[in-house]
Amino acid sequence: MDRRNFIKTGAAISAVSLFPVSLLTPNAIAAVSERFQKPLTPIMDGDVKEFHLSVDIYQQEVVPGFSFHTLAFNNQIPGPELRVTRGDKVRVIFKNMTELNHTIHWHGIYVPWRMDGVPYVTQMPVMPGKEFVYEFVAEPYGTHFYHCHWGTLLHMQAGMYGSFIVEDPDDPIKKQYGYEREYTLVYSAHDVNFIRKELNVMLDRMKERMYLMKQGRFDKERFATFDTKDEFVAAVEKGYQPPYVTNRRSPSELPQPNWFTVNGKSYPMTPNLLIKKGESIRVRLINAGTEEHYLHLHGHDFWLVCDDGVPVPQPWQMNTVRLSPGKTIDIVIEGKNRGIWTFHDHDTRRVTNNGLYPGGNLLALIYEDTPIEEMELNHMAKKMGLKSLPIVALDE
Amino acid sequence: MLRGSIFASIIFVFILSAASVEAEVSPEIQLGARGVMSLNVDSKNNQTTDAISDFSDTDFMVGFRQKMYNKFRGQLVIGFQFPDADSDLGQVFFHQTFIKIENKSNIFKMGRSRVKTTLLDFPLLRDDDALLLTTALNPFSSGENSEDHQYGNVIEFIHLFSQRYQLQVHAEHFRKTPKTLGVAETDFGLNALGFVLQYKVPQSQRWNRSIIQSVSIGTNNFLTDRPGFSSEYDQALKNILFSFAINLKPDPVHFWDLRSQTIYNSGFREVQEINEFGDLTRTEAIGNYSSIRYLYRKMERPSLQVAFSGGYKKFLNTIQPSKLFQIASSIFYRIGENFDVGLQIQYKDFSGDLKNLYGDNETRIQFSLIYSIDQLWNNQFDDRESLLNLEHGYIP
Repeated sequence: MDRRNFIKTGAAISAVSLFPVSLLTPNAIAAVSERFQKPLTPIMDGDVKEFHLSVDIYQQEVVPGFSFHTLAFNNQIPGPELRVTRGDKVRVIFKNMTELNHTIHWHGIYVPWRMDGVPYVTQMPVMPGKEFVYEFVAEPYGTHFYHCHWGTLLHMQAGMYGSFIVEDPDDPIKKQYGYEREYTLVYSAHDVNFIRKELNVMLDRMKERMYLMKQGRFDKERFATFDTKDEFVAAVEKGYQPPYVTNRRSPSELPQPNWFTVNGKSYPMTPNLLIKKGESIRVRLINAGTEEHYLHLHGHDFWLVCDDGVPVPQPWQMNTVRLSPGKTIDIVIEGKNRGIWTFHDHDTRRVTNNGLYPGGNLLALIYEDTPIEEMELNHMAKKMGLKSLPIVALDE
Repeated sequence: MLRGSIFASIIFVFILSAASVEAEVSPEIQLGARGVMSLNVDSKNNQTTDAISDFSDTDFMVGFRQKMYNKFRGQLVIGFQFPDADSDLGQVFFHQTFIKIENKSNIFKMGRSRVKTTLLDFPLLRDDDALLLTTALNPFSSGENSEDHQYGNVIEFIHLFSQRYQLQVHAEHFRKTPKTLGVAETDFGLNALGFVLQYKVPQSQRWNRSIIQSVSIGTNNFLTDRPGFSSEYDQALKNILFSFAINLKPDPVHFWDLRSQTIYNSGFREVQEINEFGDLTRTEAIGNYSSIRYLYRKMERPSLQVAFSGGYKKFLNTIQPSKLFQIASSIFYRIGENFDVGLQIQYKDFSGDLKNLYGDNETRIQFSLIYSIDQLWNNQFDDRESLLNLEHGYIP
């Protein structure tokens, strides 16, 4: 090694040792953006923004060492963010690559009713290998999301959801708070045992049904699908036993989620929010799961500025926000208290991985300009070989 | 004696303390039970002789399974069954007591379990209904207990090649009967070994429309004490088994299949008369048993099964030409989930030396009620042969 290289290497080693906080290294800061779904680039067809979404079975690694089979839009969980401007003409070409049925529901969007994605109500399900084209105008402004509406209890928690953001050039929140950076956090809860068992059952059933349907052998009772309520009631009167009766199905427990994710990941792989002192950031919160979350930010109050995408007349100042299933809430955080602060569900059952605390939807608000010396550890911790705050701890 | 007790006590305490350390991993618990109740009307040599209530083959099994380190899974199964009333096995017989360790492509099993004396299950009321034709018979047995031919202390290794191909290598200790009164059984040495090559479509892929369900070839070598022969090869009683099962009509509603198994027993050339059961197992013979089955599946569940089975066995080296011929017809109708009523009629015809053991013919009519369950609690991971694991990537 020549002297020049030695100095270079030495400088790099010094930088690492003087910069112990891995979260604040340039690489780590750049990696933060990887934890957020990138907006899908549309193809312009005249004045129509055309997006291509597909769904397939996918293995999602929630944290290192734990993966499960999922349903994923474009092989990612959540699906890619669709970001358009208010009034845009939108076309989404949806391809079903699985052996299951699906649809897409545009949650909060004023779509024409035949585009609403509810099987047997607004459309027939998109069957295996088939395509469906959704067309609508992007209204209203705000934070929304999309999700599968077939077998919703299973398909949503299996991963079929993504954010849908309708921007406005005269964004009232941006005008009021003047933020430059914004983040989208999509929350979900997964009973991975339920997902696994049900996916296997559904795959088996669909193989059987598709075989029969290709031969034109649709059987209403066998498929538990009727034209009208009257027809269904008449079938029961004639002896048909619906699939929910106790001689066909024993009472079973509803899903009990044991993994809680933000943007498809659980702590310590959850996305972190970056901020600088004096900066305001907008955070779009979407609950695509079945559980309520009570999201609490340490060391700060924040402003609740939008509810279901709609700007609230008077922003609320708070430090804990309730995020119910199906809700979107936008908050603005003002960078007033430098440091590293956790942002997590205060129903701490959801801050667990497979029942073990900490985990789940725990994440951090990180001030990029936090002085390194504030993160130093005490003597005992250094003797333990630990470098600096924050530390990844998996079992408290 | 005292020293032995202390030693046992130390081991017990050691295991107990180890169990408390590992208390955070509670296993999957599997419960299997089958009740087979029948009213049998027997006729021997064209004379009605008996009408009995029979609950043999009723069994109960419990299994515990968990993930191990390094992508392996471990399982303990304990089960007992009620043997035939005329057996010398007592009121209950522990037919399954084994531990199994497996990963994606290897299975190792040790303990009491089903032996590889048959490669297929046939659609009959009880496993032993056509035992003389469907099983490579245990030459150490007196013929009193059908369990002697079906269960043994096994050591088994299976390697799977690309999901559907497998090589099974097995060694067993088969029960020796009758036991000498007042003398404890001390010899539990391995007295048989063999292998099986098998192509088998996993049950979960039954709707993938393949014609072949399974094709297998195997050997069973019983290491007997053959008077006058010292070479182990010459002493071994060699059986070769070949089987196949094919879908005649792989339709989810009206399903037809055919299964067939041929067993060739090389026998000992000096055994030319059948005077007792030991001779029957030791003389050269070839036999085949086949079944054709129709299964009607209503509402995506089995509803009605009708099967016609038949087989023959020809003894090739007996001075007096000897044959066994058997036909059976069965019908099972499902009256509730896992609950069947059945009717089975069997006719057996014996000729030559076999008349000494079984008479001219036997007819048996059985009216039956069968209830079987297979439940799993605390499910944590998927089976190797689930659709997700087979078709969408295996998760250890």
